[in-house]
This record gives sequence, C-alpha cells and structure tokens, in this order.
Amino acid sequence: MTGRDDTYDDAALVAEYVLHLLEPEERDAFERRLANDRQLQERVWEWEAQFAPLSDQVAPETPPPALRERILSMVEPEIRPKARAPLWSYLLGGVTAAAIVIVALAVILPITDELAPSYRAELAAEDRSLIIVAAGIPETREIVIERIAGAVPSGRVHELWLIAEGASAPVSLGVLENEGQTRIRVADNLMPALRDGTLAISDEPPGGSPTGAPTGTVVATAQFSDI
Amino acid sequence: MRMTTRDDIEEMIARIALRDRSAFAALYDATSAKLFGVCLHILKSRSEAEDVLQDVYLRIWQKADGYRVTGHSPMTWLITVARNLAIDRLRKRRPEPAEASAAADLPDTQPGPEALTIARSERSRIDACIGELEHAKGEAVRAAYLDGVTYKDLAQRFDVPLNTMRTWLRRSLLKLKECLTR
Repeated sequence: MTGRDDTYDDAALVAEYVLHLLEPEERDAFERRLANDRQLQERVWEWEAQFAPLSDQVAPETPPPALRERILSMVEPEIRPKARAPLWSYLLGGVTAAAIVIVALAVILPITDELAPSYRAELAAEDRSLIIVAAGIPETREIVIERIAGAVPSGRVHELWLIAEGASAPVSLGVLENEGQTRIRVADNLMPALRDGTLAISDEPPGGSPTGAPTGTVVATAQFSDI
Repeated sequence: MRMTTRDDIEEMIARIALRDRSAFAALYDATSAKLFGVCLHILKSRSEAEDVLQDVYLRIWQKADGYRVTGHSPMTWLITVARNLAIDRLRKRRPEPAEASAAADLPDTQPGPEALTIARSERSRIDACIGELEHAKGEAVRAAYLDGVTYKDLAQRFDVPLNTMRTWLRRSLLKLKECLTR
C-alpha cells in the first residue's frame, strides 16, 4: 500500500473511530496504533472537537438528586483505604458491571495514595488577572501548584515562598514551571510551618531569585485552608 | 446567580485536577444536565444513563489533569467523555432487537443554555459542512455522532445495504474533512 493510500484511508478511519463506527477488532487495532502515535492522537482530538458542536442540539435533562449524592460521595476523603473497607466495596452496592469496578479501582489509587491533599490555597491577584491554586499533601510533603489564570511576564518566572507564622523573612519553596502543574517537595524542617504560614508568589528572573529573598513584585499571597 | 461561563468550567476542571472536591461539586451542578442529556439521548434508558453518568464523573475526576493536552474546549472534553462512555455501554448491550423506528423515538431536541454550548462559530462550521452533503448522508453522520449507532443500524435506518452504507459514510467523512479544513 502506498503512503498516499494510507493517508486517504486514515482520514476516514480516524473519523470512523471517533464516531464509534469501527467493528470491535478494528477499534482495538486502531487503539493499539493510537497508543504510540501522537500525530494520530491529535487527529482524533481534531475530529472530536469538530463533531462536538453537534451535541448542542441534545436537550439537557436534570439527573435525579440521589445520583448527585452518589457521585459526589465517591470522591469523599473519609473513604480512605486504611481507614475502612476499600472504596470499591461501597461501589458494588447496586452497581452492576465489572467495568465499573475497574473504573473505580483506577480512580481510588490516585485519590487514596499520595494524591489526597489536605490543604488548599488560592493565590490570586486582587483583580483576579492571575490565579494560582496550590494543594498541600502532608503525607508526601508535597505541594502541587498550578497557574489557572494569567501568565508570567515574558522572560520571568514565578517563585513560591513560605513566610512562617511570626517569621521575619520568607523562605523559597521553589520556582513554578511556566506551563502546567509543578510539584514541589517541601523541606522537612518547613513542614510544620506550612499549614499556618503565608504563601507568596513573586515575579523573579529565570531560575528564581538570585539572592534567596524575593527580588521582584509579590503578586499574590494566601494561606492554606483544610480541604 | 451569575451564569456559568466557559472560563468557570475551565477553572473547575483545573481545580479538580488538584483534587478540589468543591470544584467537582460545582462542575457537576453546572454540567450534569447537559451530560445526562447526552447519555440519555444515546442510551434511551434512564437507569443506564444514570449508571453511565456516574462513570463519566469518575472519569472526569480521574482524568482532569489530562484534559489540557487534548486542546479541547472544556465542554468538548466533557461531552466527549460522556459520549464515549455512553456508546461503550450501548455496544455492550447487544444483542438487541432491531429497532427500525428508533429514529422516530428520539426526544425533541432544543439548544441548551448558551454557556454549555460549544462556540457558535464552531457549531456553524460543522453544520455548514454537513449541509454540503446530500441530505440523507448528512443525517447519517449526525445519527452516528448523536445516537452512537452502528453501520448496521444506519443501513437499516436508511434502508440501504450495509456495504453501501459504509462506502457512503466514508466518502461523506472525507468530504466533510475537506470542507472543515478548507
């Protein structure tokens, strides 16, 4: 088969995949390709985005209130593995397919392992042109932090600081990645101060403050609160 | 109360990625009617649509950090998750009696609240391109997307042989692609 034929076939094939028109074995084969082919994945996303507006014509329908409770309770923190029965045993009541158990198991692992933060903070500029959210995970001594609105000035970085209660000077916790989430490992000696200290974000040169103290503007401050 | 905007939904998803349960509740309140509508439209069974909606929000909780990489608008991502899981359920349901009248049973459709719709320009683009196809072929593409039906269902619904339907639809998809990238 020539390259040209591949392209021709693929154009329809990708759309058929997105529409779920492929037979199970064709679908499996396509998904195997997809796992290793970023370009193909992008073409899938492209079709998904192009078709999605069609669903604007589907009428919304409010689901029953009991379902809301059931769904929200699935992400409740009280249900931790060491505490009581595993989450999936709760899920089994009334729920049918084995597939659901698999989904549930996949979900629990991240929630109940290191990814169950106890603290959260929102660091926002007064006009909310910049919003950074941070989650603290005491068990792993980590902060997961992400900018969800606003941007870093060109050629600069954002640095996260902790000002311990009663302390006179901030201590650097680390520099944020310019895109996506940053995971920051907090030094053991700073952990006790994390929950009640003040977090601050400053604007710094690449690599972070050269002096060990904030050198640029402090763009936002906040404290953690319990989740 | 202020209308939920696309940016609000985007922010909720970002917070969910950080395991923010209040954002998860807020996202549920803002989007569950839309996503339940999508599931119900495909499954035409309330109890199955409820089961699937539960999977959908679990998936959202689980995969929120992977949303950005798709480059999707927030509603596109949410709708795609809902549609995929609903169709997975639909396919597992077989075998089922042929429903020649399925098309007639579809609930009336109407546009949802503006905040939960995809940007108008994108909507008119796919509509315009489907409009360039022959009417029946355009309707087949819509049915494949909205109802999640198979080639076999489509062949029955449009009363053509299975292979004809495949050829039809593949050609229509190529034309659509050509129109959308024009």
